[in-house]
Amino acid sequence: MDLELSEQQQQLQKAAIEFAQKELADDLIRRDRDQVFSAEGWKKCADFGALGLPVPAEYGGMGLGITDVIAVMEGLGYGARDHGLLFSINAHLWTNSLPILKFGTEEQKRKYLPGLSNGELIGANGASEPNSGSDIFSMRTHAERRGDTYVLNGTKTFVSNAPVANLFAVYATLDPKLGSMGITGFLVERDTPGLTVSRHLEKMGLRTSPMAELIFDNCVIPASNRLGREGRGVNVFESSMEWERGCILANYLGLMRRQLENCIAHVRNRKQFGQPIGKFQSIANKIVDMKVRLDACRPLVYRIGWLKEQGKSAMMEASVAKLFVSESLVSSCMDALQIYGGYGFMVEQGIERELRDALGSTLYSGTSEIQRNVIAKCLGI
Amino acid sequence: MENIKEDLRQYILDEFLPGESASNLKDDTPLRSSGILDSVATLKTVTFVEERYGIEVEAHEASVENFDTIEAIEALVKSKKG
Repeated sequence: MDLELSEQQQQLQKAAIEFAQKELADDLIRRDRDQVFSAEGWKKCADFGALGLPVPAEYGGMGLGITDVIAVMEGLGYGARDHGLLFSINAHLWTNSLPILKFGTEEQKRKYLPGLSNGELIGANGASEPNSGSDIFSMRTHAERRGDTYVLNGTKTFVSNAPVANLFAVYATLDPKLGSMGITGFLVERDTPGLTVSRHLEKMGLRTSPMAELIFDNCVIPASNRLGREGRGVNVFESSMEWERGCILANYLGLMRRQLENCIAHVRNRKQFGQPIGKFQSIANKIVDMKVRLDACRPLVYRIGWLKEQGKSAMMEASVAKLFVSESLVSSCMDALQIYGGYGFMVEQGIERELRDALGSTLYSGTSEIQRNVIAKCLGI
Repeated sequence: MENIKEDLRQYILDEFLPGESASNLKDDTPLRSSGILDSVATLKTVTFVEERYGIEVEAHEASVENFDTIEAIEALVKSKKG
């Protein structure tokens, strides 16, 4: 595995950094406080190509390989302050666009992927339920086949992008007695009768990424909107989690790198007791820990890209990366906060927001505890 | 003739029992009822045999009895291939 980015990947990453620094820096403190999603930022990201990074050109995307995508995501994470917006993009890409690309029919691909790539459509994913979070496959949302339709009934919660999304990838069981073999994926358009996007959920972090519940009440969708085969929704869901766990972390490589650079500059310039605070070992050690974490995280994320490009499964490796990178990110945000002292505690500095955002990363796409379960299972324990 | 049992043994060892000796995974070792294959692992195994042997397994066919041993899975695959 070669960790060196190719010349093209370096150019892509540089372009992503410049784009994010210039275009995604508007009014973030207010939007974070008021939980405002940036439709303008979304459109800019679409115009940049970020919403169709892995989608082939014939469906309106950029057709990049996964390592290219990771390089771009790392650049966006470095350049952008609005990690809520980046989180929304990841939810859109990995739990909606990519499942359609991988498991959808040709008709579904042609109908949805161009709009999902050019920003006209926003995708979301409904999997978690009020009583099935980590135990996701105990879901109760039910799908009943009736002729050329399916009728959905149930509730989905923690649906990122739901307040602004046009298209939902939803999982439901055809028969709870079939267990995992009963779970099936569906594509549901927002204006479908029987679908209600319910209350907006207020979050601790990632506040610019809107979240809501979905309620399906005798929601009738055409059978042609089934995503993948009947009873194979677990394959669709697990595949999307594998991609999401891998690629969403690339943003955090960029964030950790920027945070480290900022902290180094700060401890060189900030003087107390007549010398730069970086000369105090207790401060320098925090910087060193941040550097070690970043260097340890980066190969874990790029290994996922390398494995996927070899056509290999990365289920365990994605969980290893998700667990380590998310917890490293939280630790590094805490270190940055301590290094900046009282200034770090101020909203204006941005570190407290990054810490709040980081805490979400140990919860979404499977909590740290679930990642450990996945790894243990993959080890045959 | 494909060696279905050996394919299955290698797949299960690689995916669900890494590090385990092949000699410990016998043709009649219980898979579902012992917990080696939970419901998600069973679905992965179903997907593997479908892709490997060009067959389709219906949901009701992914039962404990059809997927509890390597020899049972082999029998299902052979019956599907005709």
